Amino acid sequence: MALLLRSALAQALTKSVRPMWAAAMTSTGRRNMSSHKKETDEEFDERWKAYFDRPNIDGWDIRQGINHMNRLDLIPEPEIISACLQACRRVNDHSLAVRYLEAIRYKSNAVSKQVWPWILQEIRPTLDKLGISTPEDLGYDKPELALKSVDDM
Amino acid sequence: MLQHQSRANASTVSSVVQSSPIVLDNRKAPPPLDADRMRMYPRIGNRQIVGYGLKGKPEYFDLVMFPCPSIRWEADTPETAVLRKKEQGDWKQLSIDEKKRLYRASFRQTFEEFTASSGLWKWTLGWGLIALSALTLAYDGWRRLAYNFDKPNSMSDEKLKQQMQFHIAARQGPMNGLSSKWDYETGTWKK
Repeated sequence: MALLLRSALAQALTKSVRPMWAAAMTSTGRRNMSSHKKETDEEFDERWKAYFDRPNIDGWDIRQGINHMNRLDLIPEPEIISACLQACRRVNDHSLAVRYLEAIRYKSNAVSKQVWPWILQEIRPTLDKLGISTPEDLGYDKPELALKSVDDM
Repeated sequence: MLQHQSRANASTVSSVVQSSPIVLDNRKAPPPLDADRMRMYPRIGNRQIVGYGLKGKPEYFDLVMFPCPSIRWEADTPETAVLRKKEQGDWKQLSIDEKKRLYRASFRQTFEEFTASSGLWKWTLGWGLIALSALTLAYDGWRRLAYNFDKPNSMSDEKLKQQMQFHIAARQGPMNGLSSKWDYETGTWKK
């Protein structure tokens, strides 16, 4: 699977986490046994960035992109996250941006507690420019309402 | 075909604004629906469709693997319509409460809420212990009911007296106990 967190993240993380990423960092000499071309990390990033950078993207496509990327075994690069947040700005949907950030936060916390602060730090310029609140700003890093779970109804 | 049509309509037509926040009120007649909505999604009321959805159907669910459902959670009331208008402007002008209100209008629970632990282990442990003690009590009650527990005859007065004589003869408790109170020369209790 394509790992998107690159050397900048590897420097930010501690030594204990680095071996996990280091194995994939040295992937330049990967050989392709099958005949079809494998996409590089840069091509993957470019593709998704172009997807969200379309000027007349609508809410349906943004949601499709978010849901699709959520299924993949990776956390998006900060550039992709910024492109998606700008797309949310274009369709005037702030809640969608917060939901997206929550999804990334949940996923990154499953990997390590250090990933989410790094991602926030990287996308802070976009957040400030667009005026998007993070889940922590809205108080959604802890449960707010105690609604009944759907499984208990 | 219908879905494509619905999507084309969704981007052009704005959401239906209703007066009360209740989405589907069973006590009243169904909300005003046009022919298209009635064909495709009478179950969701006047809520705005905003996505393709997991199975192509306009349903709402909170899932970790599918963060953005295909419909909003709440139908638009006049208050939320005002907020949506404000949302089209600068987001820095929105207060935190307004942003939270907008979020709750689109989604039912936050990620933290629907991934929070249910605390089921407390119920399991409690009811397990209660069941265990109830079974024990029931068994003991049945035991007392079903069986006749006679007292042994060593509790009668003559037997007890004889037992005491044996204890004294065996010099039990010679220092501070029973036999220390017995006068062995006279064969009576000490004065």
